[in-house]
Amino acid sequence: MPSSDIAPSAAPPVARLIEAFHRLPGIGPKSAQRLTYHLIRMPQDEAEEFAAAILGVKERVVLCDTCANIAEAVECTICGDLQRDSTRICVVEEPLDVVAVERARVYSGKYHVLHGVISPVNGVGPNDLKLRELLERLRDGTVVEVIVATNPNLEGEATAMYIQQLIGPLGVKVTRLARGLPSGSDIEYADDSTLAHALESRAEIPQRQTGTPE
Amino acid sequence: MTSKRRPVTYTTDGVVVRTSNLGEADRIITLITPIHGIVRGVAKAARKPGSKMGGHLDLLKHVSVSVRETRTLHGLSQVSTVNGYRGLRDDLDRFSRGSYISEMAERFSVENGANQPLFRLLLDVLSTLEVSDNPEMAIHFYEMRLLQLSGFAPELSRCVESGVELEPANHLYSADRGGLVNNESRPVGETALLPASLNTIKLLRFLSRADIAQATAMKSGEDENRQLSRILRAQIHHVLDRGLRSEAFMDEVRTRPGHGNGIGRTTSDSSNE
Repeated sequence: MPSSDIAPSAAPPVARLIEAFHRLPGIGPKSAQRLTYHLIRMPQDEAEEFAAAILGVKERVVLCDTCANIAEAVECTICGDLQRDSTRICVVEEPLDVVAVERARVYSGKYHVLHGVISPVNGVGPNDLKLRELLERLRDGTVVEVIVATNPNLEGEATAMYIQQLIGPLGVKVTRLARGLPSGSDIEYADDSTLAHALESRAEIPQRQTGTPE
Repeated sequence: MTSKRRPVTYTTDGVVVRTSNLGEADRIITLITPIHGIVRGVAKAARKPGSKMGGHLDLLKHVSVSVRETRTLHGLSQVSTVNGYRGLRDDLDRFSRGSYISEMAERFSVENGANQPLFRLLLDVLSTLEVSDNPEMAIHFYEMRLLQLSGFAPELSRCVESGVELEPANHLYSADRGGLVNNESRPVGETALLPASLNTIKLLRFLSRADIAQATAMKSGEDENRQLSRILRAQIHHVLDRGLRSEAFMDEVRTRPGHGNGIGRTTSDSSNE
């Protein structure tokens, strides 16, 4: 939508900023206007800091040469950390997924960011993802396991299947994040494929050593 | 005096053909429905792990959904899965074909345009594709039937140039003219004609009147298959005025040797093996 349609009566610089916000994902015309008028009311120094932060991101942030995660140098902090397990790579769709997995604090291996998933209806194929770079990382034989952590939807599953077919012949173990019922959900509302996966991946309840009823 | 229009809410069946993220955790869903044509709606918080809708509103799922109409994107709620087509989810080849089918259904549908035959066809083909050992012919059946339902059925008995009845022989196919062309009637300088062998013509005629069970029971040779693909696709491209995005991936999966690795290989790599 052109800026004149979003804010027909706004001054040109205001309209331009509204349009810029409107281009961001998830920002509709109303939100774009609200954010713009919030910035107009913002003190000068805060606005300059905000603008400098945007420019800084564009000037200083690059993709890690190894894992394609967002980094400040050619090697990200995770790839440069010698304490981390280099025999395992967790493959994720987007850089934000690295943050999510790191939040769980149970994984100490490396990552690889695909920057998307195979999405035929959107014209995204395997060659549009960072799969060639992933293959390069497996060539020296250090990696023993690739954990595919793409989203548990159809395109994420298809990408996982593709990765499995791609690197399976190299002798590297390919695993997939477990799927099933999320904590706090109701079985009544679960869809058939989630329930099927949950049943297939069911686990034995471990015997407790103490407090077992007679 | 103008009265405020009350929002309309209805329940419909639909097949999810497209999804995209919206905001923090919402998802925009595009459905093909029998009565309302294409329906685009927002499933609030569908990306959160605890969502009651997220698991149901995945691509290539036949769902029942409650739609609350608004002026822009409708609101979706109370979703349940009618058929999840698991066979399309566990097999890359079937997934790629399912994507092709759903993209075509979307391109041949319009908003607020009831099209029950197209919806029934979509369900039939998805169900067949899930289990059939002849997915190639299921795709050709779908392409042919979609053209017929949309009023673009190929002319297979008379020459579209001269109008004369075609002799049982090899002929040519013109996507621009929408049918077969007699070899003798080939327009001078015409280069966009596709070869159509007698066997391919027989298959096209068979597909134009067969049901899906008969179509998938029919085996065809590689050459005929290739010609069928080229002819039906050319006709679809002509009708839609462009190709389909999912074709490239479907072809890649189909042509990979043993469904193996096609990435990072060059011609010289292959020749060294």
